[in-house]
Amino acid sequence: MTTMLPEIGHILLIISSVLALFSAALPLIGIKQNNAYLVGLSPILFRAIFTSVFVSLLCLIYGFVTDDFSVAYVANHSNSQLALGYKVAAVWGSHEGSMLFWIFAIALWGAIISYRIKMADCTQDKASDKYQDALYFARLLAILALVILGFNLFLLFTSNPFARLLPNIPIEGRDLNPILQDIGLILHPPMLFLGYVGLTVCFAAALASLLGGGFNTRQINYLRPWVLLAWMFLTGGNAFGSWWAYNELGWGGWWFWDPVENASFIPWLVATALVHSLILTQRTHGFKLTTLLLCLLAFSLSLLGSFLVRSGIVQSVHAFAADPTRGMSILCLLVIFVGAALLIFALKAHHLKQDVTFALFSKETLLLLGIVILVVAAFSVLLGTFYPLIYELLDLGTLSVGAPYFNAIFVPLTFLLVLLMGIAPLVQWQIVQWQNASKARVASLIIPSLVILAVAGWVSLQAASGSSLFLLLGTAAALWLLVCLLLTILAASGLGRRVYARQLSQTRSEHGLNPPVKSSKQGFIAMLLGHFGVVITIIGATSVSFFEQEALLRMGPGQGKPLAGYVLVYESTENVETNSFTAIQANISIRDAANDERVLGYITPQRQTFKSNGMEMSHAGIDHGLWRDIYVSMGLQLSDSEYLIRISYKPLASWIWLGALFMMLGGAIAAWPTRRFSYQADLTTLVTLSHHKPQETLA
Amino acid sequence: MNPILRFLVLLLPITLCGIGIPCLSVAQAQPISSLSHQQQAMDISKVLRCPMATNQSLFESQAPIAHELKAQIFSMLEQGQSQDEIIDFMVQRYGEKIRYQPEFKASTFALWLGPLLLLVLGVGLCLVLITRRKTQTTI
Repeated sequence: MTTMLPEIGHILLIISSVLALFSAALPLIGIKQNNAYLVGLSPILFRAIFTSVFVSLLCLIYGFVTDDFSVAYVANHSNSQLALGYKVAAVWGSHEGSMLFWIFAIALWGAIISYRIKMADCTQDKASDKYQDALYFARLLAILALVILGFNLFLLFTSNPFARLLPNIPIEGRDLNPILQDIGLILHPPMLFLGYVGLTVCFAAALASLLGGGFNTRQINYLRPWVLLAWMFLTGGNAFGSWWAYNELGWGGWWFWDPVENASFIPWLVATALVHSLILTQRTHGFKLTTLLLCLLAFSLSLLGSFLVRSGIVQSVHAFAADPTRGMSILCLLVIFVGAALLIFALKAHHLKQDVTFALFSKETLLLLGIVILVVAAFSVLLGTFYPLIYELLDLGTLSVGAPYFNAIFVPLTFLLVLLMGIAPLVQWQIVQWQNASKARVASLIIPSLVILAVAGWVSLQAASGSSLFLLLGTAAALWLLVCLLLTILAASGLGRRVYARQLSQTRSEHGLNPPVKSSKQGFIAMLLGHFGVVITIIGATSVSFFEQEALLRMGPGQGKPLAGYVLVYESTENVETNSFTAIQANISIRDAANDERVLGYITPQRQTFKSNGMEMSHAGIDHGLWRDIYVSMGLQLSDSEYLIRISYKPLASWIWLGALFMMLGGAIAAWPTRRFSYQADLTTLVTLSHHKPQETLA
Repeated sequence: MNPILRFLVLLLPITLCGIGIPCLSVAQAQPISSLSHQQQAMDISKVLRCPMATNQSLFESQAPIAHELKAQIFSMLEQGQSQDEIIDFMVQRYGEKIRYQPEFKASTFALWLGPLLLLVLGVGLCLVLITRRKTQTTI
């Protein structure tokens, strides 16, 4: 029985594809024919998809855990010596399994959404909000089912994870790629996939709104936690990936602008734009098309990223194995999904146009500019990633586009963004009053900016490598944002706010403007945390880039090197052996420069040789700290006892990821459900009050 | 071991020792070279792509050829050559691909000017649309 589990998994994958077809077709037909019974099938069908995909994934996990090397995927990516945790994580360690995991995560998220459809309560009154919502969710699940169908077919036809190696079953597996044998594999890919899945859900939600011909307040509120969760997971996926590369790859860098990194970074940029666009839509009931288009764009770019990673068309240190048929299939999926989505958008968009009234200088404009810059940044990274490819296709020769290019493009764009990020929270929605209070306000921004420029200029002269424009930009950006955030907190808590608010509402009513939907305290705190995270990350990144001190040395036992207030002493060389590798390890002590008898800690960089495939890897030793990391990597052996050793002192390195944690926390707080997002009529009455009659006809 | 590889591995310590400060005091680890040239060599190696490793700079790469090229960069610096001369030399020897920062020329206009163009278009369009709305309020 257990020997045929891979076949069962395979069959379940096929069954889930058929279920997905039904789950897409029946509810859509039901909606068309106004047949509540067919629509009501949607949740049960979707849960059936989830069950079969889940069991299918379990079959694959079982294969890994029991070392079933008759399954090709297991034989290629596992080994009987591998620790249990890595055996399970190896499921998503490569192409086929990660795709299955992705499908599973879509099905899981969809299954959770399916509990929102409660047909029993609402079939009596088909005009009721509840029935209309049921239709919306049914459309959403139908589109998710179509995505699952596409992915399933792709998996079954080009990269079946259950393919067998029969009759010559290997005795031993080929082992998981040594680079992947790290805690990072357990954390980073699932996070990233959950982020991609969140974008898939947003894509389905946007299409459901477009198909329904309306994007009403309730739908906007449903979309909010999905967008925020997707963004939060993507933030985590990128940050953990970067942290992993920093710790494991032994290069000492933390972001390489590698095509595969860009593949997950581009969707993050668009998702960030989407988060802000959704806030615009939620508060003003306008900008609906921007939000919907960004939903479609984010998912399309995540698919494009997968194409990049899985087709092997780009050279990257962490691309999956190359296979042109896979690339073509993903490209087909991409064209079908994106083409269909854009077509629906083009056909339905005019139903959703809604004018909003606001002045040129207002929070709306600033947010919109921020969104534009984020999207421009995303497309610039995309351009840099694809340029070598296009260049070669056009027969212009070969070309590399690397970190120097991306930094030159990205740093100035980030600076512009940060300028907007600082001002936007200080500016009111719709209008800004230039009388009375304004002069003080303008002064309150101009004086700090001058001080910031002076401080940033001073800091940029302190760098070891001489002053640099990027250092100036980085320091100024971090300081500016920090000062503006403090001003925002002051403005929000200050006594003057109430007076100002009264004036503002008066002016609004004079101009016949409806006040924007009130923000929640929760949203405000989330914004502060998220933006504060950006400050921390910028400080960390700038500091590491410009104040790093490094030395390349030949070192053997008994030798030492002073660096940045520490003395590093090479104590001894040791041979280490674990389950999966043997290693030469250098034991290096960190001592206080003032008193070199005082040992502060040990760093143990290794040169590992993996038993299963003989691959050699340099594993860096890092002494982490809040204020600095000391990073040591071990190079080639230069003599009997001496090795080439690279030592780096990286001030504030951990702040890069600390900032990301703050951003994620902000995302989580904003996504946390509050009463504001539950069924409430007051938000909808706001819309109906607006002088442009909203067009929210569903179905 | 592959003979070329062995040669390179042997070459590395020799070049490194040859160019390093030759004194070998006991308790002090030897810096490979004078500091400013070393720093400069590191900076140059960060903008060049390793011809052997997949998408890594010379600085990051652990491939033997990367070590050899780093030594080469250093000795060229010692001979008084400038950064541009060294990079030109590397491009001549290994092709455009070794440059991580593509040159600004006709075929890379789109690459370098694309982002700027997008920014100007995006922001411009955004501002034009906002100011041209019928329901514009002037406050």
